[in-house]
Amino acid sequence: MMENVLLPKLAKIVKSEKMTAIERFLQVEVLDKKFAEVFDYQPGQFIEVSIMGVGEAPISTCSIRTKKGVIDLCVRNVGRVTNAIHHLNIGSLIGIRGPYGNGFPMEEMEGSNLLLVAGGLGVAPLRSVLQYALKNRAKYKDITVFYGIRTYDTMLFRDEFYNLLAEGDKLGCKFYLSYEDSKDKQCISLEAEHSERCMCGVVTKLFERIKLSPEDTYAIICGPPIMYRFVVQELTKKQVPPEKIYMTLERRMKCGIGKCGHCIIGDGTSIKYVCKDGPVFTYWDALHTKGMI
Amino acid sequence: MILNLEDELLDLLSNLDVKSFIMASSAHEETDLDVAFVEGSVSTEEGLERLKDIRKRSKILIAIGDCAVWGCVQAMRNQEMSMKERMRKVYDKEENFYDVLEPKGLSAYVDVDLEIPGCPIDKIEFLNAVLSLLHGDLPEVKDYPVCVECKLNEYQCLLVEKGMPCLGPIIVAGCNALCPGLGVDCIGCRGPIRDETNAAEELNVLKEKGYDEKYIKNRLKFFGANFGEIAKLSKMLEKKQPGKGGK
Amino acid sequence: MKYVKLPKENLDAFVENLKTHGKVYGPVKIGEYYSFQEINNSKEMSLEYSRTMIPPKKFFLKLKERLFTFNEEKGEYKETLEEEKIVVFGIHPCDINALKLMDKIYIDETPDKYYKMRRENAVIVGYGCHPDEYCFCHSLGTNYAADGFDLFLHELKDGFFVRVGSDKGNAIVSEISELIKDVEGSDIEEFRAAERKREKEYTLELNIRGITDMLALAYESEVWKEYADKCFGCGSCNLVCPTCRCYDVVDNVNLNLKSGERLRRLDSCMLRKHGLVAGGLNFRPTRIERLRNRFNCKGSLREDTLNCVGCGRCTVYCPSQIDYVEVLKKVRGEL
Repeated sequence: MMENVLLPKLAKIVKSEKMTAIERFLQVEVLDKKFAEVFDYQPGQFIEVSIMGVGEAPISTCSIRTKKGVIDLCVRNVGRVTNAIHHLNIGSLIGIRGPYGNGFPMEEMEGSNLLLVAGGLGVAPLRSVLQYALKNRAKYKDITVFYGIRTYDTMLFRDEFYNLLAEGDKLGCKFYLSYEDSKDKQCISLEAEHSERCMCGVVTKLFERIKLSPEDTYAIICGPPIMYRFVVQELTKKQVPPEKIYMTLERRMKCGIGKCGHCIIGDGTSIKYVCKDGPVFTYWDALHTKGMI
Repeated sequence: MILNLEDELLDLLSNLDVKSFIMASSAHEETDLDVAFVEGSVSTEEGLERLKDIRKRSKILIAIGDCAVWGCVQAMRNQEMSMKERMRKVYDKEENFYDVLEPKGLSAYVDVDLEIPGCPIDKIEFLNAVLSLLHGDLPEVKDYPVCVECKLNEYQCLLVEKGMPCLGPIIVAGCNALCPGLGVDCIGCRGPIRDETNAAEELNVLKEKGYDEKYIKNRLKFFGANFGEIAKLSKMLEKKQPGKGGK
Repeated sequence: MKYVKLPKENLDAFVENLKTHGKVYGPVKIGEYYSFQEINNSKEMSLEYSRTMIPPKKFFLKLKERLFTFNEEKGEYKETLEEEKIVVFGIHPCDINALKLMDKIYIDETPDKYYKMRRENAVIVGYGCHPDEYCFCHSLGTNYAADGFDLFLHELKDGFFVRVGSDKGNAIVSEISELIKDVEGSDIEEFRAAERKREKEYTLELNIRGITDMLALAYESEVWKEYADKCFGCGSCNLVCPTCRCYDVVDNVNLNLKSGERLRRLDSCMLRKHGLVAGGLNFRPTRIERLRNRFNCKGSLREDTLNCVGCGRCTVYCPSQIDYVEVLKKVRGEL
């Protein structure tokens, strides 16, 4: 019997924690034991989450696999499906399909420095990259993380990132935080505590704080659409070649398998399905595919 | 139309606590509401006050029917003459006795969470909306034209193949192309697609097919007079007509 | 390729035999237009048809269909797909080539079970055609179906020159051996002459050389604004296109609020919601971007083939008569 890839598989919510006013952390576990065995995913991949009677939405994984059949998701309440997800309790059933997408080329980047640049919710997929790199620490040179937030209230995985801010060097990565609201008291006190690693401004300002060696550094970007251009500009100024700048895009990836067409971008010379050809692309892809960033 | 849901009505009502539905029951309670379905256009100060009160009392306000969405046929002569002129024409006095306003849909005055258009509404669309609400979310809004439903049903294109003055390309879908399916060209009872409809092109297309401007203007305004682009077009045509004497 | 001849008087008996392979659908005239409908005999068909409004793609990627049902209480997703054998009679070469394009996406990469199963359960009987003023398939090389069918009928004076394109087609031919004849030299000559004549019947021409670059170079061109002003964004072009494959899904809940179904319908990249992501950001907010996207998608390459077969439907069925070929000529600067 042929597999029906559009038919979701049941999964149970085992953890649901409020992270910010609009974001929740969810851990889900697939029910089918056989599927749990093979269910694996790479940093940068996503799954389609189905809520019966509401619909489906693509959500990227925010961690590496730690337990068979389990996946961590960070869900922002922005639409019908994500709103429904926010209202589910522990034990509720959801449907999942996937994983889909190409993911970040973790092997290709071995032996190089990694610079992760995240803005807002963009930190969720990059968290899985960071976890992967820290787990395989010996395979990479320096690991640097830039995380841009608006206010302290919007900061995701607060304890975890606070820890990295304070002790990151011991844990294997240099963690930098930028915040946009200059009146945010909690951010100001964070800056006072860690003036080296925390500053007020947009995320690109953090480039002032580091020396980048373009010949052996891969940059990985994820954030709101507006952010890409500015970050790419900085990286280009610093001579990082376009093919070593990776970014993950957000589009309406409704089917996840390159059929439904909603995530299509590009021009006659280069048409891409973000779900299938991406969601991870290089800046070189963006240079020859119109409408990407 | 809601009461025509004979097969589903009892099941539906068992899930609802109806506080007021004057057309169906004399029981009436003015209280805070989870959902208010509001029919009718705003055409008097009194009606407007009542709408504002309902808005205040309701978590979700849903406009049902073309009256509540666009103002419907009573708005057809909007922008064409002032209230004073209208009063003079009908009552021979300029005074506005009944505090009458230019008929408009609800969203011209208050926030509307969902619009279920149509004159009349499509009962299945209404049913699905209520089921979505009971299930815990707002239904997905259709914002594509009737043409889509004609094609999905493989109905003949009355505009292209028969040259009929079908408004399908500019009218919001959801009726499952009921009229075109019966060979009747769309008169636009569900109103234009908000912020999207290309009304100017409908005028061009129908003119090319030989319909005169006045006919097209009336057809566009019948259900869509309050739609910005249609209002603009009709003003333009009115200015033009006295000079050229129309077609 | 194996070639046989079906005498005209045996067409009905042939259709009768096809019925044993499934429900037979053929081009039928309804009012002013053509549609693939179920037929009982060959006389119900209009084999001289120009084009159907909705292409035969509808048999495989349905215009609308249920994907599955769900039940919250039972915690189940249940597939409701049923197998059905069909025969689609009278498909033109452009539409056969379009199905081959569809197969690349719906079968070759992550197969879509619904589409694949229906393709496997169908017999495709092609039928030769003559171009009208909207056809430009010859510019795309899709005016001839070299494969992608089980049987292909070319009309001769007294019968049909039949190309047998698959095992399935051959099995059918063997079943009706008493209805068919061997082809003779004169049949071959008649077929060749007809094909030569057909080549000369085309009046519409589209230069596709370098079209991918021409489209990319015209990305900021005024041409998109010009046609977006005419465009309704109604999606008719996509919905009648034999190679458009976008779809949308929606969930419906039953009265018990616990069970329901997920439906799929064909979608169109000309509709406003197509490029919308949750949160309200739209990557193609106006008809300018949507129109440009549609043309770029049609004019992009997939394994050396464009996403267009030159059937002319999008031009014929555009309510504001936007001419596909004219737009692409403007893109090249020819107009």
